[in-house]
Amino acid sequence: MASAFLPPADPLYQQVIVFLYEEARLLDNWRLEEWLTLLADDIVYLMPVRITREKNRGSEFDEDLYHFEENLASLKTRIRRWETQFAWGENPPPRTRRFLSSILVERGDGEDELKVTSSLLLIRNRGDAPEVSFLSAERQDVIRQTPDGLRLARRVILPDQSVLGLESLFIL
Amino acid sequence: MNEKSDRARLRDGTPLEDLVRIDDGLIAARVFTDPEIYELELERIFLRNWVAVAHETEIPNPGDYVTRWIGEDPVIVVRDKDGEVHILLNSCSHRGVEVCRASRGNVSQLVCPYHGFRYKLDGELASIPSHKEAYDGRLDKTKFHLHRARVGTYGGLIFGTWDAQAPPLEEYLGDMRWYLDLLLNRTEGGVEVVGSPHRWVVEANWKTGVDNFIGDGLHTFMAHRFAVELGVLPEDPLIGWFGYHISVGNGHGLAMVGAPERIPLPPYLGLPQELWPHFERSLTPEQRQVFEKTGTIHGSVFPNLSLLNTTTISTEEGVPRVPFLTLRVWIPRGPHRMEILSWFLVEKEGPDWYKDASRKNYERTFGMTGTFEEDDTDVWISLTRANKGAYARRHQVFNYEMGLHREPRPKAEWPGPGAAYYGDYCEANQRCFFQRWLQCMTEV
Repeated sequence: MASAFLPPADPLYQQVIVFLYEEARLLDNWRLEEWLTLLADDIVYLMPVRITREKNRGSEFDEDLYHFEENLASLKTRIRRWETQFAWGENPPPRTRRFLSSILVERGDGEDELKVTSSLLLIRNRGDAPEVSFLSAERQDVIRQTPDGLRLARRVILPDQSVLGLESLFIL
Repeated sequence: MNEKSDRARLRDGTPLEDLVRIDDGLIAARVFTDPEIYELELERIFLRNWVAVAHETEIPNPGDYVTRWIGEDPVIVVRDKDGEVHILLNSCSHRGVEVCRASRGNVSQLVCPYHGFRYKLDGELASIPSHKEAYDGRLDKTKFHLHRARVGTYGGLIFGTWDAQAPPLEEYLGDMRWYLDLLLNRTEGGVEVVGSPHRWVVEANWKTGVDNFIGDGLHTFMAHRFAVELGVLPEDPLIGWFGYHISVGNGHGLAMVGAPERIPLPPYLGLPQELWPHFERSLTPEQRQVFEKTGTIHGSVFPNLSLLNTTTISTEEGVPRVPFLTLRVWIPRGPHRMEILSWFLVEKEGPDWYKDASRKNYERTFGMTGTFEEDDTDVWISLTRANKGAYARRHQVFNYEMGLHREPRPKAEWPGPGAAYYGDYCEANQRCFFQRWLQCMTEV
């Protein structure tokens, strides 16, 4: 079977991997202003609610209500909030680590667009608690090639939990 | 020792009355963190009261169901082929296996995956495999139905109770119905749940959520101070003060908050004008009078349902604020843990642009990832964590004196039912909640 996915040796594949790793690093280090520069102006950023359904009874993802239903302006509002001293859920800041794997890249619908899927494991720790909370998800991204480099144009986050085990979520 | 005093004491001899001193405005920290108290609550609170589980619009068609919780007991909320709603314990009458394994869907019967016992959607046992051989045809199927809770609905909201002695739901809600109408029945079509609720688990006692929503106006300025820093809420420590704080009785309460006179407020929380004629038709003049001057409604129905209708902030620069309505239950998951199940609702008659903007405002401010929600859960987790120790349990007492000496306003000023205090920096509603809590926990 001929695969539509770019082989790992493809320079474009390697560019995408570095882009995603860099993005994760910025988020893990709370370099949020820099993270914003990786987003396309028309970014669509979604995380639907997941529900438990019986097999073959339709999608588990709710298309009517989202955990995140964001655009550039609303993501900026979240970051403006984080920048104050009073975002209690992020002060002291949680420690997060984003693990990415199973990255697959294929040509997208637009000529300059790439469809990228990846697995995300987000580990989150807060305060002096030894326990961590986590979220695992599939990310379905559209990454755009621009003269200034790659930009994230669309992200859909499909969580593996229907009842989330984190007290809050900032940005994935 | 008589039965009452026996029931009203904890194992170490402490009378529950000593922990909840309503007249002094003092509530022991232990009430929020003691595992023994939590176990008693499951019996004395969650087995005896009407508990909200779903909204009718989540299960519009015959066979539609959602699985929910009354206390720690899992229930199936299902609409049968005649359109009647049933609340059934999700436990087979034979060996107790769950007969429903998804969180929502549509079924014609409920089938146990263990031995194949089949139930009708009213909980009646329909068939048993090999009934004739296995039971010599002698098992009385009418005795082995699924356990059924009593069902009541108000404004489309479905409540269940296991208690055959509990008063009818209408009576249980009492005067709170007058206020629930402002949220659920303000248009002829009423409100509908959009999508599936947000659900997440927080390491905090379930009562922390009730305590906040029922009447905590004071926390706005500090817990949500980011909004002041961003310039979207005024730099005014009295920001959450201007409004009425209403103790409705039976453990229910709410606040209807406006704004200081210098800040003009759009009528009816800023709900779209298209809806105003519906208010004229669906609400009484007294209801409209108080509703019109309101910017935020927050409150709770005993024991664990809370409500919020507000505009919060604009989540996109330059885009106007749009109000949203959320209802949520704080589901007990242990003394130090709850599941938050939070619905977004909107008027059926609402214009599409409003439904869209309202949903986004809810998701971004009071949904699971909401900026305001996160402030609240953070402090609830903190208060639960800080008061588990032996010393705090024995000696830490929370102050609930706010508004203790304030008098309710006369009917001429506030036409709604209940004791209405001016100023939402008040803890009368919290005291009202804990009074009812103590009554449930101590009466035989």
